[in-house]
Amino acid sequence: MTGLICKGWTAVLFFCAVVAAVGSGQTMASECKMEGSDAMHWLAKMSRGSHRVDYHGVVTFQRGDDMQVMQISHAITNGSSTEQMTQLTGQGAQIVRQNHPLECVHPGHHLLRADGETSAGGCGITDHYRLQVDAGERIAGRKAMRIRVDPLDMYRYGYIMDLDKETGLLLKVQTIGRGNKVLERFQFASLSLGTNSKAAANPELVHKATHPVVTESSAVAVPASRWAIQWLPGGFTATDSQQGAHSRRTYTDGLAVFSVFLERLPKKIKAGEGVARHGGTTSYTRGMRLKGKPVLVTVIGEVPLNTARMVADSLSWTY
Amino acid sequence: MTERIRESLSATMDGEADELELERVLSKIGDDTELRRTWVRYHSIRSIASGQSVDEETFPDVSQRVREALAAEVRPAAAGSLQRVLKPLASFAVAASVAATVVIGGQQLAQINEGGEPREAVASAVVGVGSPVGLINSTGATPVRASYGNQAVPVLEPAARTAYRELARQRMHKYMQEHAEHAALNAPHGLIPFARVRQIEE
Repeated sequence: MTGLICKGWTAVLFFCAVVAAVGSGQTMASECKMEGSDAMHWLAKMSRGSHRVDYHGVVTFQRGDDMQVMQISHAITNGSSTEQMTQLTGQGAQIVRQNHPLECVHPGHHLLRADGETSAGGCGITDHYRLQVDAGERIAGRKAMRIRVDPLDMYRYGYIMDLDKETGLLLKVQTIGRGNKVLERFQFASLSLGTNSKAAANPELVHKATHPVVTESSAVAVPASRWAIQWLPGGFTATDSQQGAHSRRTYTDGLAVFSVFLERLPKKIKAGEGVARHGGTTSYTRGMRLKGKPVLVTVIGEVPLNTARMVADSLSWTY
Repeated sequence: MTERIRESLSATMDGEADELELERVLSKIGDDTELRRTWVRYHSIRSIASGQSVDEETFPDVSQRVREALAAEVRPAAAGSLQRVLKPLASFAVAASVAATVVIGGQQLAQINEGGEPREAVASAVVGVGSPVGLINSTGATPVRASYGNQAVPVLEPAARTAYRELARQRMHKYMQEHAEHAALNAPHGLIPFARVRQIEE
């Protein structure tokens, strides 16, 4: 297990648990498929580009009939990035992440940057998705490359990603569900490279994005060591070290992310399950008894219902 | 059944129940027959009033509907309005029995294939686990497990089903921001996951 300390992030020291995979020393490069290597190269460029390029612009985010418009900016100073997203529609909130060190690379981006074999001995993204590079259309006035990302199993969604030819920036991404249905769509409407001279629109509220491992869930805390997920779809890895008392776990395969929340209930509840969906997000809630104790398990993420259900189903106490 | 639980039930049906009310309904519905009957009554009244036969479900809770359909068939034709509501369910029962056959077939398949599926080996390698209880292979792609099998998948009465759907919706709002904080660091599109949060809180 390798760890990396992300220093200088606001006033607090955070332990940035990077790469949960164990470096087993296995070499499987020769067995990794070559067909997706060009696309893999683009995904790595996208991941680096999104962190190392100064840009600002306007993006749209669409889910069904609902469309939001946001202003986005990203700037690098002294080896760390500052990013900002201001909603121009709806609530008008602003999300800010300041002084995030460039060397603080989170597990999702590690998976995207793994060219060829990963430290865990697999082939990374290409074990679970079929990648294909196509000519892209013009987006926000920029020439784009298109990458089709098709899942190899039914535990995850597909994507159509358009990347900026020059910088690798993600200009547009469509999340594709069953039957080629577009579940949500994110896209730049305008993009300028370089730093933003204009101040963002007046936000109603400013939220500083958090960084692991310090977030506290509002739910009744359950020490992490006392529960475990027994099953994960292939390729998913934990996003943080999850030390200390935690009632949440988050997992990613580099493209999709889901979180599991566990609540201990004070009294018994009728066992059952319920689902809510919005765009590409599934919220699956399950009331059950674990070793006689009533709990509520919720899986929220951009994964199909079956995946969320299987994960909830595999939860168990470990003590 | 108290007046209070009646109100909670009504609020649940209208999608206006708060957390306490949902919990109240869910903790009582299991052993309160009168509560369940009241639910069916409320439900049929509302369905007729709004002109719909059954509420659309994305969730595959089939068995309860089959039971309701069978019950409706057996029952004498006294409650004409209720029957009108339940009638479409009868045809649903046929489809459901087909689905049940498929599931049983899948279970047998899972037992035969146990341990012999290469992609399952990849999945299990993450944590190293036991055997699946069901397989779905509807597209010809790699079979996926439909249930992990730690817990029996519960069968819900309509009241509990609605309450749970409401609970899932509330949990989605409650936890979305915390999920977005981590998605924003691990998914390729930066802060965009925050756009999925209905109401950003400081």
